[in-house]
Amino acid sequence: MSYKCSRCKRDVELDEYGGVRCPYCGHRVLLKERSRDVKEVDVN
Amino acid sequence: MMVPVRCFTCGNVVGEHWEEFKARTQDGEDPEMVLDELGVERHCCRRMLVSHKDLVDIVAPYQ
Amino acid sequence: MAPDYDVEFIDRGDRDREARFLVRDVSPAFANGIRRAMIADVPTLSIDEVRVIENSSVMFDEQIALRLGLVPLTTPDDYEIGETVTLALDVEGPGTAYSGDLVSTDDRVEPADKNVPIIDLKDPEGSETPQRLEVEADAVYDVGREHAKHQGGVAVGYRHLQTVEIVGDADEYGDDDPHILRGVIEEDGELIPTEEFDHDLTQRYPGKEVEVHDVPNAFVFHVETDGSMSVDELVTQAVDTIHGRASELKDAVQL
Repeated sequence: MSYKCSRCKRDVELDEYGGVRCPYCGHRVLLKERSRDVKEVDVN
Repeated sequence: MMVPVRCFTCGNVVGEHWEEFKARTQDGEDPEMVLDELGVERHCCRRMLVSHKDLVDIVAPYQ
Repeated sequence: MAPDYDVEFIDRGDRDREARFLVRDVSPAFANGIRRAMIADVPTLSIDEVRVIENSSVMFDEQIALRLGLVPLTTPDDYEIGETVTLALDVEGPGTAYSGDLVSTDDRVEPADKNVPIIDLKDPEGSETPQRLEVEADAVYDVGREHAKHQGGVAVGYRHLQTVEIVGDADEYGDDDPHILRGVIEEDGELIPTEEFDHDLTQRYPGKEVEVHDVPNAFVFHVETDGSMSVDELVTQAVDTIHGRASELKDAVQL
């Protein structure tokens, strides 16, 4: 799963042991990136 | 947020007139006259434009 | 078998989207049947499925899809129920994505109104790319009974044609309150929309006491369309659907 650090804007990969933390700047707020898949939406 | 595309009550397309309505009322024209000239006749459609506020600029920084 | 009916136009609005006409010698049930058919039974094309390729705008995919669904599309009459057309929209900020930016695979199908803002796209400071909306959408041909976005008719209704009878003189010392009437009145075979006297009977018949009566089996229809077709097409297709259903019933009961 790819996240983005909200402070240094770098891509972050989370692993089991690292906890929720940016390995570059230590910031604990990570944003999940939108998937690149095409999303199908039904209009109703 | 953005103008409703259609009037909630009657289903007439009102989004079409929003930008002209907004520009003209900001220039100081009377909203009543502008709506009459745009052909937005019914009061259900008129309230859609009169009571609308664009919010995209307000929420954009929090993306 | 068909009774002699008569249609007379009272006024036609601009761009074939609005009309008022009088129909004589139809039953109230049939008049209402036409009205209902115009709203629920005449199919139009409308966006029903959206594939979001990219949406970095401030609105959710579902909100954008809903807005796209409400945009009226011009509808040729040779489609079958359930048939689809593909449309695409690709706009990058800063700027606004309009309904007119929709591109269709069938050039007879296009947004009827081109200035409907779909979403305002920004180029936020500190972000490397501006906001972008790229979608592909399938418009499906279906009837208004399935979803309001397929309704071709907007504010469709009718009133009785009315006559005004002068029954005497107004009370000399009475209040001069207006006598409001909206619709169309018939006077000596002439049709007069009430707009002509500001909807106020005391202006047209000053000092008279009047009574208003309905003309039996005469209806003044007011029809507006959302732009997906002209008023003529809407009304004739509505009558065709009633005809179609009647013959279906006839076949089913084998008269």
